[in-house]
Amino acid sequence: MRITTARWLVQIAFLLLFLFLFIQTESKGDDTLGYPVRLFLDFDPLVLLSTLLSSRGLVPGFLLSLSAVVATVFLGRVFCGWICPLGTIHNLAGIAAGRRKPVLPPGARKWKYWILFFLLSSSLFTMQVTGILDPLCLLVRSLALSVHPAFQNGFAALFRTAGDWPVPVLPALAEGLHDLFRKLFFSFREPRFFQAVFTGLLFGIVVGLNFVEKRFWCRYLCPLGALLGLLSRKAFLKRSVSEGCTDCGVCGRACQGRATGGDAREWASSECLACFDCDDLCPSGSVRFGFRPGKGGRSFLPGRRSVLASLLAGAAAVPFFRVFPGSRAGVLSGKLIRPPGSLDEADFLARCVRCGECMKVCITNGLQPAFLEGGLEALWTPVLVPSVGYCEYRCTLCGRVCPTGAIKPLSPGEKESVRIGTAFIDFGRCLPHAFGIPCLVCQEVCPTAMKAVWFEKGIVTDREGGVRTVKKPYVDPARCVGCGTCEHNCPVRGEPAIRVVSTGESRSKENRLLL
Amino acid sequence: MDRRDFLKKTLCAAAAASCPGTLLSLAEGWAAPPVPDLAVVRGPSPEAITRAAVDALGGIRRFVSAGDVVVVKPNIGWDRTPEYGANTHPAVVAALVTLCFEAGAGKVKVFDRPVNDPRRCYRQSGIAGAAEAAGAEVRYVDERKFKTVKLDGLALKDWPLYEEILEADRVINVPVAKTHGLSTLTLGMKNWMGVMGGGRWLIHQRVHESIVDVARRVKPVLTVLDAVRILTANGPQGGRLEDVKVLDTVVAGTDPVSVDSFGATLFGIRGRDLESVRIGHETGLGNMNLDTLNIRRIER
Repeated sequence: MRITTARWLVQIAFLLLFLFLFIQTESKGDDTLGYPVRLFLDFDPLVLLSTLLSSRGLVPGFLLSLSAVVATVFLGRVFCGWICPLGTIHNLAGIAAGRRKPVLPPGARKWKYWILFFLLSSSLFTMQVTGILDPLCLLVRSLALSVHPAFQNGFAALFRTAGDWPVPVLPALAEGLHDLFRKLFFSFREPRFFQAVFTGLLFGIVVGLNFVEKRFWCRYLCPLGALLGLLSRKAFLKRSVSEGCTDCGVCGRACQGRATGGDAREWASSECLACFDCDDLCPSGSVRFGFRPGKGGRSFLPGRRSVLASLLAGAAAVPFFRVFPGSRAGVLSGKLIRPPGSLDEADFLARCVRCGECMKVCITNGLQPAFLEGGLEALWTPVLVPSVGYCEYRCTLCGRVCPTGAIKPLSPGEKESVRIGTAFIDFGRCLPHAFGIPCLVCQEVCPTAMKAVWFEKGIVTDREGGVRTVKKPYVDPARCVGCGTCEHNCPVRGEPAIRVVSTGESRSKENRLLL
Repeated sequence: MDRRDFLKKTLCAAAAASCPGTLLSLAEGWAAPPVPDLAVVRGPSPEAITRAAVDALGGIRRFVSAGDVVVVKPNIGWDRTPEYGANTHPAVVAALVTLCFEAGAGKVKVFDRPVNDPRRCYRQSGIAGAAEAAGAEVRYVDERKFKTVKLDGLALKDWPLYEEILEADRVINVPVAKTHGLSTLTLGMKNWMGVMGGGRWLIHQRVHESIVDVARRVKPVLTVLDAVRILTANGPQGGRLEDVKVLDTVVAGTDPVSVDSFGATLFGIRGRDLESVRIGHETGLGNMNLDTLNIRRIER
């Protein structure tokens, strides 16, 4: 078997494994998922490094990401060429786009290092925005918030429409396919997300750039690729070109990482994705890969000045992002209800990589990507939107899938004592309080062991002078955990008569409600 | 046979003799002990007491025929494990499923439209596992299968109800007895909220009438009220073991109002004090007067 065939098989296998784990990021009714769904993120050394800098702490999967570092030091960017699921998607998109010559100047290969240094410098100054551009975070997030929901929505609609057609066999076929898709690909609930369009747009651009140049993202933009490039500068896996080379240029055109160009002998290990396409395609069989120590050819590291500039820019971005009044608890953060187990806001933001795992796994679809509720720094971080979905009282999945510990894993017992906000009743909208109409749904669905929503019988007089008693709900702020089940189920829609805000969340000292 | 029983049977015989059409059924009734209106069975095994209750009412064949599609409708409303008494006891559900198959049922369906996430409710309640092991088809409710049904009730003109319950040959209601903030208790009739589609929270505005309106449309051949564990406070969801009282009891009957009326007494209140029971009685859905009923109590 040719080595490139083997590579393709490995790539497809990893892509399928990635997609399988992605699909499994979904509750089946148990407290655990049964699969290591965040495996790829655990292997991501950029997540490890930037979290280490921003939070001065380790991520749960740090041993796995260290193994990726070690592998890269010896073998070069094999992760990019063989494993990275986004890389494989680029590979496929590149094939779809057809063969294209590089259009960007050779120096554009520096861009990704600038991006990397910018992100790491921001991280060092406690701002973690790496996840916006980390390829694995970007991929999981884009699939979770945008591609997969659109896929499910589209196909479900297609099957429903086909099911309504007055054509023999078609309805049964549509129903059968619908069942099959539900079993294999669909989420239990049709997922819907705010920001779906924007996260999807970024993903569309990143993949679409393959039509400008193949592997555009990997060559010029990917910060993880840059980090692995730095690590692979002295990798043992090296390319050599023997005397037989006819300067035909095939290898340069085939090269995925743009590690080699006009001159076939010129090669940069930091840019090489170890795809072996050049080895495979060389008509004279002159290209060889082998293991030996030493420097890995030319590197496209940016110069000292521009490195310094990107480091400074990364540092300077931090205060610019943060001169925003909403970053203080209680200013704008009423709607910033974080998942249960989230660290205090500053520590949370220092760890959250916006991978979207928690939003994908959220059993009610209530965890949604923030837009500007918490400032630009908190873009696409998870917030609970109870009108979309409440926090299921005994569910602890979000903390279990978080790759960085921004959301601590809680046991169901621990979770009972975690408060993510407090519910407040709007007496002007509440049916019993405002209109004397019986309701009490909030009390019924309140999940705390001793219900936080309680009621008393009150006497109401209607406009005709009739007198009757009605049960009126009240919130006991000492028992409310802010799960939002009441708000979600309140029959007053639009702006429910009972609403949760982050006030009183147990992770924050500033946002305390009770003495 | 004690004196009271003797008198009752004599009177029955006299009444029956005066109308010749019932002579045959009388002969049967005379041979076997009369079928009670309610069977109240207590014992340590939920499975055994369920079986005994159905047997006391004349056996499962009275309710289910060979080839029937039967819906056994438990309360699977909440993400709670069985010891919290928020959902029907899984062994009671499984026992009924087994009984249905013993009567030759073609298919037994078990479902509910829960309040909490259906996956967690089905799983954590233990009902999905137990009912499937007994051979039932356990599916989540499909939102497309709610059909608007004319009710012309006291509160509800019409409401979307679950197609599968309307189309079933036989329906068996298996509620659990719990407290409820608005309606004081939730027993058998209120269990039909689990086959209601749409924005069902609106019915809270006239909850007692609405419960009866739906109960008049969905008529079970049998109601088995699970009182193995009853929830005496913080219902219907519970969450504290100190609110759970272990009664090791099931109450079975064919009259939904009678079952609920008896169910109320488990909590120390009279059936007539529950609005839905009173309305059910007054509108002719059933009989709430326990003193007029033949209630057989069995210890297992």
